[in-house]
Amino acid sequence: MNIRKIFLTSVLLFGIHNISFAYTTSELMNGIALGAIIFTLALICIVCLVLMKTFKVMADMLLPKEEKLMMATAVSDLAIEPSEPKPSLWEKLLSLRPIAEEKDLLMDHKYDGIAELDNPTPAWFMWLFYGTIVFAFVYLLNYHVFKLGKLQDEEYTIEMKQADTDQKAFLAKSANRVDENSVKLTADVEVLKAGKATFIQNCVACHGEHAQGVVGPNLTDEYWIHGGKIKDVFKTIKYGWPDKGMISWEKQLSPKQMSEVSNYIKSLKDSHPANPKEPQGDKES
Amino acid sequence: MQPDKFYYDNKTVRNFAIATIVWGIIGMTVGLLIATQLYSPSMNLGNQYTTYGRIRPLHTNAVIFAFVGNAIFMGVYYSLQRLLKARMFSDVLSKIHFWGWQLIIISAVITLPLGFSTSHEYAELEWPIDIAITIIWVVFGINMFGTILKRREKHLYVAIWFYIATFVTVAVLHIVNSFELPVSIFKSYYLFAGVQDALVQWWYGHNAVAFFLTTPYLGMMYYFLPKMANRPIYSYRLSILHFWALIFIYIWAGPHHLLYSSLPGWAQSLGVAFSIMLIAPSWGGMINGLLTLRGAWDKVRDDVTLKFMVVALTAYGMATFEGPMLSLKSVNAIAHFTDWIVAHVHVGALGWNGFLTFGVLYWLIPRIYKTTLYSKKLASFHFWIGTLGILFYAIPLYWAGFTQGLMWKEFTPEGLLKYANFLETVTRIIPMYIMRSIGGGFYLIGVIVMAYNLVRTMTTGKLVSNEAAEALPLVKENEPREFWHRKIERKPMVLLVLSLVVILIGGMVEMLPTLFISSNVPTIASVKPYTPLELQGRDLYIKEGCVGCHTQTIRPFRSETERYGEYSKAGEFVYDHPFLWGSKRTGPDLQREGGKYSNAWHYNHLMDPRTMSPGSIMPNYDWLIDQKLDTTTTAVKIRAMQTFGVPYPNGYAAIANKDLDLQAKAISANLAIDKIKVSSDREIIAIIAYLQRLGTDIKNKPSK
Repeated sequence: MNIRKIFLTSVLLFGIHNISFAYTTSELMNGIALGAIIFTLALICIVCLVLMKTFKVMADMLLPKEEKLMMATAVSDLAIEPSEPKPSLWEKLLSLRPIAEEKDLLMDHKYDGIAELDNPTPAWFMWLFYGTIVFAFVYLLNYHVFKLGKLQDEEYTIEMKQADTDQKAFLAKSANRVDENSVKLTADVEVLKAGKATFIQNCVACHGEHAQGVVGPNLTDEYWIHGGKIKDVFKTIKYGWPDKGMISWEKQLSPKQMSEVSNYIKSLKDSHPANPKEPQGDKES
Repeated sequence: MQPDKFYYDNKTVRNFAIATIVWGIIGMTVGLLIATQLYSPSMNLGNQYTTYGRIRPLHTNAVIFAFVGNAIFMGVYYSLQRLLKARMFSDVLSKIHFWGWQLIIISAVITLPLGFSTSHEYAELEWPIDIAITIIWVVFGINMFGTILKRREKHLYVAIWFYIATFVTVAVLHIVNSFELPVSIFKSYYLFAGVQDALVQWWYGHNAVAFFLTTPYLGMMYYFLPKMANRPIYSYRLSILHFWALIFIYIWAGPHHLLYSSLPGWAQSLGVAFSIMLIAPSWGGMINGLLTLRGAWDKVRDDVTLKFMVVALTAYGMATFEGPMLSLKSVNAIAHFTDWIVAHVHVGALGWNGFLTFGVLYWLIPRIYKTTLYSKKLASFHFWIGTLGILFYAIPLYWAGFTQGLMWKEFTPEGLLKYANFLETVTRIIPMYIMRSIGGGFYLIGVIVMAYNLVRTMTTGKLVSNEAAEALPLVKENEPREFWHRKIERKPMVLLVLSLVVILIGGMVEMLPTLFISSNVPTIASVKPYTPLELQGRDLYIKEGCVGCHTQTIRPFRSETERYGEYSKAGEFVYDHPFLWGSKRTGPDLQREGGKYSNAWHYNHLMDPRTMSPGSIMPNYDWLIDQKLDTTTTAVKIRAMQTFGVPYPNGYAAIANKDLDLQAKAISANLAIDKIKVSSDREIIAIIAYLQRLGTDIKNKPSK
């Protein structure tokens, strides 16, 4: 019963996964996405127009013939009994009876001129219906009687365990393990550049474009509310001070990014931006 | 025997037709406006009455109950008389029905922008309007059954079975989902709270789709399609099977709107199982319609009304296949809360309801005006621009839905969310929002062209208000031996009772245990009632329609617990009258918003979201700073909550405003530290208090 689910999700993942995530800058990708959509929609327009034209041409070519054909059969009807018509593939597939037999199927009532035929329900339709009923029963048995399927709480526990294992395995083999005890002060240009990028993306809303302080404190002066050593800054970023409005960034920034941005902040000391916020906290040299 | 001579009432049909067109244009224009607001916040027009949260319900209500509603009544009044060979039961009732319904819509157009909302989707109208709807619906029922009883046709045609099922089910849905306790003339609280309220709402919401947007339209399809194509209905037996199966199964499927929520697992699974079983019964209608066109496909090529019908049936088939697929949990995990769902419902709404309505209008107006359509070319233009509009609308939104749904779930190898900033997933899909509004614009242009075309048609002809007809009167005779179902078709009351029984089963099996067996909602000791200020803030959250973009339910996925915090537990919502889980995440979930940001952050963010989150598409809520909080309602609100069993101390209502003041002053003082001067009696203080409370209770758990 899971085949349907697996099939669907795999189609989705396969189709979408690659398209959506390989991006680096979102603006460029927005442009590309917009272009692609416009292209697709324009294509649909063209296809529709072509189809319309094709139908028109086909109709013009076919219709007179059809009419002739119908007239011919009408004439031959008078002369001889029509031979048994062979059902087309389409008719077989839909379990349709030939349209010529329709008069035998007409029921003996009409509502405001609407007649009804006594056609059977198509076999494929019935099988679809039975199939979904079986699916539904198996589904319920699976989750609630035999308990083979996992309900959401159990699913979640497994997902988290798996993620934990994967994360540990990844971190064990990478140099990405810095924490508040091991973070080091550095003036490496690359580190500061990366830190600046992270700062611009995440911190300017509260601390200002030049760290001069807005809602959050000024980060360029000598005053610190929660300590100005690299380890303190790292800790503040990592765990936050939620009572005072500083959120925890642990779930949004990697340890490497937090160490980069801590170093960037430290590098701003005495940069004297315009409109600095008044000092807050204790003076540290 | 002499045939009776009588007249069909075409005037009421015409009135409903005009109402359909007018409200359709209004509803769709509002839809286009809110679509532009999603990429350009300035389109909120800088005032509270045209802000997204308030007029999104106006769009949904206008297109569902005004456009589709009037179209249903137009179709029913036209076809019912002719299928029963009788004039409508009472001209007075027809008038009351028509004008009553228009008044209800007008009251919605006034009250929704003013912020009078219950927050239940598609049931936002407040309690006095709910009562008016009930009365008018009963008037419609009496008029319909009166006509059925004085009919000159022995058996009821399949279209009428669907009308009867529609009438009875909508009545049940509307009444049960309106169990509200009024606290003032335009404010009420729902009887049920949290999970239970959610189940009732989505039992209603899902079946509003089933019995307002589907069954009456199937009934109309069964009348108008064979008339237009002049072909017999393909299979009488298929009609019987799919009618009963559809109404029985549909009612069970509501919980698929609440997958991975804190609704009990068994109820979720029932929702999934019955949604899957719904494929065939839904398709029964499409198959019977399309096969009725067998031998008439050459007509489809020439006749624009049939073209509309074919696209309508195809859209119906696609939407009713997609729906069950979306209820599979693995698909739902990606699609839910994204624009995928918006695309899905619009395939149904624009394709099935819209196009079928247009087809019927193009066919019916010339007939009751004894003339021909003013311009076939314009109708054809409408068809093509409408079809393109649907594609331009749906494809970008499907794209947006996939993209955003997968972005929310993407992790980096370090074990962090790749798009930890929710806003990043929003700005990525903004181009799709732009394209979507272009598609919607196309569709609306088509409707305006149709309106012009039909007005010209009306002016060239003359309305036949009373159309002469004749039929033999019904004579009593001994019951003939006939097929078992034919017997039921002769007995409208039996049909009514049977459909009522059939639709009640599913609702009762799912709802009664959830509502009355306490083990289905495990309580949490640390969850306490809202303080008076938070309660007032919560009502502002409802008034501003925040629930239209922000959910308050965190699903048990790693991607959600990492982003938002601990997943939602049923016991957290026991004091939530109504629940505010929402159904769409245009913005992030807010269930654990409490304590995440400072009061100052919220203040600045509500005043202008772009100061705190550059690129945000949320509207400004600056009037919350100017407007004073109305505290005169506090006492009656507290008392209402006590009626529901929310444990406030005895006599608390009288002193609640004291607590409210204290808490407000504390927040105002806290804001002052950040140099924000705002008086403690402003609305913004209440809404900040509510936001800061959200989801914090379970963090106060006593240590084990």
